[in-house]
Amino acid sequence: MSTMDFFTAMEVSASGLSAERTRMNVAASNLANAQTTQATGGGPYRRRDVVMQSVAVPGVQNTPYAQAVKGVAVSQISQDTAPPRLEYDPGHPQADARGYVAYPNINPVEEMVDMITASRAYEAGITSMTTAVNMAERALGIGR
Amino acid sequence: MSIAPIAPPVAPEVSAAATVRQITGAERTAHKPELAGAFGAALADAHAAERTATAAAEQFAKGDPGMGIHEVMIASEKANISVRYATTLKNKALEAYRELMNTQV
Repeated sequence: MSTMDFFTAMEVSASGLSAERTRMNVAASNLANAQTTQATGGGPYRRRDVVMQSVAVPGVQNTPYAQAVKGVAVSQISQDTAPPRLEYDPGHPQADARGYVAYPNINPVEEMVDMITASRAYEAGITSMTTAVNMAERALGIGR
Repeated sequence: MSIAPIAPPVAPEVSAAATVRQITGAERTAHKPELAGAFGAALADAHAAERTATAAAEQFAKGDPGMGIHEVMIASEKANISVRYATTLKNKALEAYRELMNTQV
């Protein structure tokens, strides 16, 4: 698409929105699994974290500022290596020989903060997108 | 003491373009109405954007995990802008045509 350079700003905002959505999904997954003692692969659930990376925006590779304007993408979802929280509960089926159950290393407050950050960043992305759309509409109104 | 001239230096391409040039007959026949060409390109772009938006909405309805709400909204917004751009060009071309047709002779 060459006619509308405002689409570049929209693409960049869209990549940010997708990244924030992934971050929201990860935070939701962490919150939902705050008490999961049996995750796939054994042991308790481990906290996930998104790692973001700047990427080229589709459609701007051939422009002079392709190196300057970057979108964002989630490059990987890392696992927190912090040790699990041990609770004494000998009756629990996942209790170890000493009667301790390993619970995920998740702090709900931290996850709430992450969720709020994702929400605000999403709003910011929507705002920049709306601004780009408004600019395009203003440009279409030239001479009217 | 030397004083720099106040007049800004004129770029060579600007001064070359400013000189009046005779338009040859071949050039005149080869000349295409540019607004119409731009309108055609804009219409093709709008069509492509609309198809992308439809495909995005379809994928979302099918439950494609890679297709989120915002992707669908952005695709349809792009289609909206593209269609309005094409419409604006069409209106401009029509306006210019009517202006010419209304010339008093």
